Amino acid sequence: MTFDRVMSGKRKRQCAKLVEISKDTVRQAFDKFKPEELGITWTGGKDSGLGLWIIRQVCQEKGIPLPKAMIIGEGDEFEEIETFVERIKKEWTVPLEVCRNEDVLKAAHYTLNAPVKVMDLNERNQAELKRIGFDGNEFPFEAESYVGNHLMKTVVFNDFLERNHIKGIFQGLRWDEHPARFNDEYFELKEAGYLVPEHTRIRPILHFTEKDLWDTYAAFQIPYCALYEKGYRSLGAKTTSQIAMEGVPAWKQDLENTEERAGRRQDKEKAMERMRKLGYM
Amino acid sequence: MADMVGPGCQRGIPGNVEMPLAVERLPNGNTLIADAGDEAGFGSEIIEVNPVGSIVWNYNEGLKFAHSGRRLRNGNTLITDTTNNRLIEVTPDKRIVMSSDEWGGGTGKLSDSSRLHYPNEAFELEDGTFLVTDRNNDRCIQVDRKGHVIWAFEKELHHPHNGNPLPNGNILIADSDGNRIVELNRKKEIVWSYGDGKPETLWWPRGAIRLEDGNTVITDSKNHRIVEVSPSGKVLWKFQTEHVDKFYITHVTKEGTFLIACTDGHHQVMEVDRTGTIVWLFRNYRRPSPIYARLTNGFFKEVGEDGVPRHWVFAPRLSEGGGKLIWDNNNKPSPCPGLEYDRPGGLFLQQNITVKPGATYRVGAEIKTIDVKGAACIHIDFYDHLVGSLYRDITDMPSGEYFTGTNDWTHDSFEVKVPPKATFGQLRLAINHSGKVFVKNIMMNPL
Repeated sequence: MTFDRVMSGKRKRQCAKLVEISKDTVRQAFDKFKPEELGITWTGGKDSGLGLWIIRQVCQEKGIPLPKAMIIGEGDEFEEIETFVERIKKEWTVPLEVCRNEDVLKAAHYTLNAPVKVMDLNERNQAELKRIGFDGNEFPFEAESYVGNHLMKTVVFNDFLERNHIKGIFQGLRWDEHPARFNDEYFELKEAGYLVPEHTRIRPILHFTEKDLWDTYAAFQIPYCALYEKGYRSLGAKTTSQIAMEGVPAWKQDLENTEERAGRRQDKEKAMERMRKLGYM
Repeated sequence: MADMVGPGCQRGIPGNVEMPLAVERLPNGNTLIADAGDEAGFGSEIIEVNPVGSIVWNYNEGLKFAHSGRRLRNGNTLITDTTNNRLIEVTPDKRIVMSSDEWGGGTGKLSDSSRLHYPNEAFELEDGTFLVTDRNNDRCIQVDRKGHVIWAFEKELHHPHNGNPLPNGNILIADSDGNRIVELNRKKEIVWSYGDGKPETLWWPRGAIRLEDGNTVITDSKNHRIVEVSPSGKVLWKFQTEHVDKFYITHVTKEGTFLIACTDGHHQVMEVDRTGTIVWLFRNYRRPSPIYARLTNGFFKEVGEDGVPRHWVFAPRLSEGGGKLIWDNNNKPSPCPGLEYDRPGGLFLQQNITVKPGATYRVGAEIKTIDVKGAACIHIDFYDHLVGSLYRDITDMPSGEYFTGTNDWTHDSFEVKVPPKATFGQLRLAINHSGKVFVKNIMMNPL
């Protein structure tokens, strides 16, 4: 696993600086919380992978083990990610918990797109559906749908926090990955709510652009999942993630002028232009 | 029982000004305002307000999205009744003494066999004829009271909004979609223009006036500002409010102040002096519909007697007279609503929802489209405390996918961070241009 390009010393130093900013955030988190009160979200993807590598650096510097990490099993994973996660878990001694919403998986008979009957779910999941305003009797088992996303990711996440009494959780989010992230902060307190425990979200790599991220991977020879070499730029569930450019490694794509989360419909710009014609709004 | 935060209110209440579009100061000191009405298509009217803000006259019979009301020398009022595609003249006692619907022997046809299409502005000329800006026909025409076309300029314009006569006989036109202002002489030659087509210079300008000193004051709507430029095109003065305000028409008073119709920004008419100080303001607006504590009836199980999903508002204000709400009755397990549309404007199904500034929400739904020529999407518009949208353009609003063409049921979800100044969000299913879009299982939840 090597990057076939030469980086300038200057760029390497720039990347080191970005990493240093992230380490500072991580150090602050360790000042604020006890190691056992901290958790790490990991997906096997490039963002949380960089976060994990940085947190590990700080732990090594402090001589403490990594906080507990969670990975969400949605029932629709890439084998390449599983293999990668297994390898890193061993190499870096990551205390990893694979979290799944077993109740939903069971109700779907572990089959993608199978209908899940609300009445077959446990009380907690039914309450969660009510909380998000789901008003139907059944839904298809699909991690990327609104309901699927909530039950398979959000609920599992909150449950992990609750069970482990986690007060601060590291996330691998970046400002440039989604417009809704533009105003995110390094530390964000989430107040307790119905079915949600109080916790602080810690986002050490917010300032990395997609290009910064890949340059940092190259500069420090950080391991990544092989799928990025095949042309994936963003990894979600297996059946809904798409290769952005076949055979072109993620870091060689036009990162600044194309979308990381490529939309299904390529003519979005044209559609926006037509919408703009409306004028009044 | 749905959980509401804001009070509900009747629609189309006389005197409530939802969307002021045109404005002028009358010789008696009163102000004439054309109000386009609310998003559901009600409440369009022309009102005359005295200096202390009392409404002393109004006309609202059958108007749809009326864009201008101009007081004529005979004391009557000339109204462009935009979505009704007509021009009418009404007396102070509210009798219609002229209607373009009567032209061409009752066919509504002008002498050149055309019909008015989305007229936006009409001024009386010295000889008693009218200068009409006929937006969707991309032209400015001079017509008499019987519909004879005396003069027409119908090339090089792109949805013009406001052509007004200058003392030297020339005409100053806001070529809105062309992002420029042009001055024409009677020989139809462009003798002056401002704007290079780029939105940074002018973005959807909807009006321009020529001052006595030769400068031009332009309402640069989507840049939410007023700019004054010299004959050589130098920007001399700008006026802008702190909030997004898509100014519509500016009128210069004899005192040299500017009266500005502030469209749907804060739903008001204001008068500013050259220092940018507001010296007079008229606002008679209140929150137009219920604001729900959370998304309500997102699964469309409840339907009102009018056939519209309960707690949702069908909003055809910008639909240029077309479009309707439809239902897919074959959808399982229950019928789901949709929008069917047939022209280039916009049509919406929407609901107002309380949101917490700074919070992140996930919005999601399932969408199906059939032959959509423009675009269809779910988006959310946020409003400040005076119900001004926080976005300059519809495409700036947080949205899911933009769907075009035909697509079977697709999961669509997006995250949105509520801007600090937002007081509520308006969640909309939107369609622009022709086609059908269906929606089901809309959800919205804080993350």
